[in-house]
Amino acid sequence: MKERITMAISIGCVSLILVMLMFTQFKTVDKTDITAIETMRETELRSELSSWKSKYDEVEKKVSEQDIKISEYKEELKDDANTSSTLEGEVKEAEAYLGLTPLNGEGIIVTLSDKDIYNIEYDDILRLVNELNIAGAEAISVNDERIVAMSDITLVNNRIVLVNTRKISGPYIIKAIGDKKYFESALNIKGGYIDSIVVNGKGIEYSLEDSITIPAYEEKEKLEMQYAKQSKED
Amino acid sequence: MLKQGKINIAIILGIMCLFLTFGIFLQIKTVKNSTTGVGKTQIENELRDNVLRWKEKYDNLYSKSEKKEKELENLRQEASNSDETSKNLSSELEKYNSLLGLTDVEGPGIIVTLNDGDSSIMKGSATNYIVHDGDLLEIVNELKNAGAEAISINGQRIISRTGIECVGNVITVNGEKVGAPFVIKSIGLTSKLYGAIARPMGYAELLENYGVQVKIEQVDKNTIKIPKYEGIYKFDFASNIE
Repeated sequence: MKERITMAISIGCVSLILVMLMFTQFKTVDKTDITAIETMRETELRSELSSWKSKYDEVEKKVSEQDIKISEYKEELKDDANTSSTLEGEVKEAEAYLGLTPLNGEGIIVTLSDKDIYNIEYDDILRLVNELNIAGAEAISVNDERIVAMSDITLVNNRIVLVNTRKISGPYIIKAIGDKKYFESALNIKGGYIDSIVVNGKGIEYSLEDSITIPAYEEKEKLEMQYAKQSKED
Repeated sequence: MLKQGKINIAIILGIMCLFLTFGIFLQIKTVKNSTTGVGKTQIENELRDNVLRWKEKYDNLYSKSEKKEKELENLRQEASNSDETSKNLSSELEKYNSLLGLTDVEGPGIIVTLNDGDSSIMKGSATNYIVHDGDLLEIVNELKNAGAEAISINGQRIISRTGIECVGNVITVNGEKVGAPFVIKSIGLTSKLYGAIARPMGYAELLENYGVQVKIEQVDKNTIKIPKYEGIYKFDFASNIE
């Protein structure tokens, strides 16, 4: 009798374990089977792939530029002890990227203006600069004030917008150099930047140009790093 | 008595068997369902492999480029020895490169951490207490206004061309995905940066009132490290005016 009971219990236990195992397996299978997300994953993967490819292409370009510079330096060093023209070239290039030189190219001119009681706020300009950056702007100015790395756009004493700590006032003319068609479509996205300005009753106009000139940043002496020091090599 | 026990065991075994068969059938059905997605999974796996391969290719090329940059630095150093002008040029270039965000920098400053509010506690619409792209833009703008010399969001260096974008429910900085919590590091005069962000009626307070978790940490020692911009500066449309 006792034996039978122990047998029954042990069989019961074994069966219970088997059933439990099965249920955990269902769960695992269930998790991998989310058909709705699978399609999303595919598109996501595709965009991921193209982004790695374009990043690779960019670095490839950079490497070939580096190779050219390296051979130029080597050539110069072999020759003579003159001022290095490669070095000069590199400094000029960096100055252009920093915004210390005026630039010319195709792009967009956007004009933001107050309308009736609806005023352009600092963040309307801030958001526009950001939108243009997302669309690949290579240089931006607001009322002919060049946007550089540490430019800010804020409100001081109500209705005064500052760029590079200079006062500017409306209408606000924002110029950007880059792919003008891309700028246009970026701003015109449904529910995008232009819609948001119009919905709030403010004025916005833009024109696409083949040649825009954006002035240089004029306060070069302000571009100093007092607190940030270049990290030492590990 | 003996018979009663046998019947009991038979019943228990019977129930168990029933469960097991039931389970097996369920499983067969589930597996059958999941096999319909095999074609997709195969494409996906291929894509996944491809992504990994290109990422590896990129990583390799990137480290190659880094090595070349080191070589260039050495060559510049050598070139700068030739005369006084070259020496000045070389130190100018070094300064410009750090202003452009092309070098890792360290220094004092503040670290602002923004995190989505806890949905189990918060009431009202989730849009109120999650962190948006515009919020990051505002905080970065305030930091710049307070004289920040270098800023990063989750390791992405902010440069003049940085765009902060929201694609679906993903935020990107410099085109790279970033997610909550958002760690915004900035180097500059600590007290000034702190004053700008922590001020009453400031943007951080506004976010806190909406239910976003805001943490502001002041760092007086030179221990904040901000990495360089990993992208590439280039002009496809702009040219210098001669």
